[in-house]
Amino acid sequence: MNKTIRALIPKRKAHEPGYALSLLISVLLALLVGAAIMAVSGYSPVEGYGALIKGAVGTNRAIGNTLARAVTLMVTGLAMAVAAQAGIFNVGGEGQLYLGGMASALVGAALSGWSPWIAIPLCLLAAMAAGGLYALLPAWLKVRLKVNEVITTIMLNSAAIYFCAYLANGPLRTTDKGIAAGTAAVDKAFLFSRLIPLSNLTQSALLAAGIALIVWYLMKRSVPGYEMKLTGQNERFARYMGIKTGRLALIAMVISGALCGLVGMFEVFGLHKRFIPSLSNEFYFDGMLVAMIMRYDPIGIVLMSVFFAALRIGGLSMELNVGISSELILIVQSVIIFFMAAERGVVEMFRAKRARQEAV
Amino acid sequence: MDGVFTLALLQNTLRTATPIVLAALGVALTEHVGVMNIGMDGMMLTGAFFAVVGSYFLSSWVGGLAVAILTGVLLGLLFALFVVKFKSDEFIIGVALNIFAGGLTVFLLRQMFGVKGAFSNPGIVPLPKITIPLLEKVPILGPLVSGNTLLVYVSWAMVLCCWLLIYKTPLGFWLRAAGEHPESLRSAGISPERMKTLASVLCGVFAGLAGAHLSLGYLTMFTENMTAARGFIAVACVIFGFANPPRVFLAALLFGFIDALGLRLQSVGVNSNLTAMAPYVITVAMMALVVVRAGRRKHKGKAELS
Repeated sequence: MNKTIRALIPKRKAHEPGYALSLLISVLLALLVGAAIMAVSGYSPVEGYGALIKGAVGTNRAIGNTLARAVTLMVTGLAMAVAAQAGIFNVGGEGQLYLGGMASALVGAALSGWSPWIAIPLCLLAAMAAGGLYALLPAWLKVRLKVNEVITTIMLNSAAIYFCAYLANGPLRTTDKGIAAGTAAVDKAFLFSRLIPLSNLTQSALLAAGIALIVWYLMKRSVPGYEMKLTGQNERFARYMGIKTGRLALIAMVISGALCGLVGMFEVFGLHKRFIPSLSNEFYFDGMLVAMIMRYDPIGIVLMSVFFAALRIGGLSMELNVGISSELILIVQSVIIFFMAAERGVVEMFRAKRARQEAV
Repeated sequence: MDGVFTLALLQNTLRTATPIVLAALGVALTEHVGVMNIGMDGMMLTGAFFAVVGSYFLSSWVGGLAVAILTGVLLGLLFALFVVKFKSDEFIIGVALNIFAGGLTVFLLRQMFGVKGAFSNPGIVPLPKITIPLLEKVPILGPLVSGNTLLVYVSWAMVLCCWLLIYKTPLGFWLRAAGEHPESLRSAGISPERMKTLASVLCGVFAGLAGAHLSLGYLTMFTENMTAARGFIAVACVIFGFANPPRVFLAALLFGFIDALGLRLQSVGVNSNLTAMAPYVITVAMMALVVVRAGRRKHKGKAELS
């Protein structure tokens, strides 16, 4: 899987001016593609994007919802970035998120009546442990046996989601009335309260800000982070330098899984009050897109999460008010990736062409 | 367990294995040119959607199949444009392709048919079932081999065709060379880029066929995300089978069997979520097993050499 590792090395830094320009052009072009699709399907792009902007930042509640989604995307995106820095492609965050949510919900319900000061840290630990351990499995397979982690993590996603659905529908199903499927409710005293009334933005945002700071420090300023980067860029070289590359990759993956587990807990403790089988709506894949577009740069991920969140939340109200299916946003987002992925090749092609012309 | 191991189990095995077989053959072709197509799942999903579109609007299964194949060709070209021409990373393009496919199919489902979730309509013409006149009457073998939908037979034929193409023709030699020694191939006067593009397009055709079998073969409908990670299982099958078509075929049959077994177990009361888990868990276990075995073989080989 040398190719994965090679591919994961950002060829250009995310905060280079050239990169920022390419990104801006890509985003604008992708939005144009979105506008063209709207026009072809018989909607007014002005009206569509108008509704999108209004839905994303029009009211306090909308801003709260956008920020709440940004928190989710940011933490999942950072999770992807940490693993990628060490050369592992964690596509399994969705499963880790589900297990983290499930573990924290179970602990939160079991510790009912305890002091929140003891119970909440235990819930956090449970979420991180569940997500981290579940990420350890594919990481171990990759490091020890060289099993392709892209496939295993994708498979483990589906396995975890079905497993949690089984638990929430079967042995761990709540006895509360009016709940179709879900585990027992978490003690009210443990739940995160809302920062903006009626919106989904909860205290988890504060935790997430702390997480972002720690991840940034880990990736950009710490020794292990630098060693991870060396491992990701050139595993063999890093090994010759005396870095325990296998162990670093495992650690990076466990951190990545733990972060995803926390996102699961944020969903449970912020919104649903219990584990429900539809805990996440492919949040991790959105976060992954953000991380890939920003080439695993932590600061870039934080900024891009807000933009992607605005698109997603605005997309919902675009669907509600104008009737354009919100999946259009998925298309726009993937088109941004296509453009950004092609950017290097296109730039190189132009350069080669110019060089050839100059040579003649 | 009497109710589980029946003829219907084997029939279902063939039916559920077919899309995986077709998809895996496509992935195997790209694997030989040195490109791993993670985007197969999205290609299949798009193929499944456009098969329904073609079948519904042209009121014929031939139309459905043709539109699905055309979609596959276009997606294959798109994939090649980025991966071969722009030299983008194949994993990122694959992931983007999957997300793009998920968005596009749901968006079009809403816009074209005005439904969310699933589209089924008597106007969708399914693929024909083919009965083989004499064989049909043979017990066990008859109901198994006869009476399947068209693409089941096509998939069997394609296993042979792909094997011949890859290992017995000059074109196959060039394809493999494009993956293993692109520079040698170039010095022989053949462009490795062209070979990679060809493999991507053929992969797209297989994705279209696989998708068409999903939406016109055993169900006559399109459902959001109906591939359910089958494209990834196909990639796993290619890894198990070392991209060798007959071996890949066997791996895909195994997954078809696990899938079908899950359905049977459900009917005798095993929790559906648990049976749905099985193929994914087994894929992971198998991937580890194959690598361990391959490693052992290598060790053995070394021991014999020394």
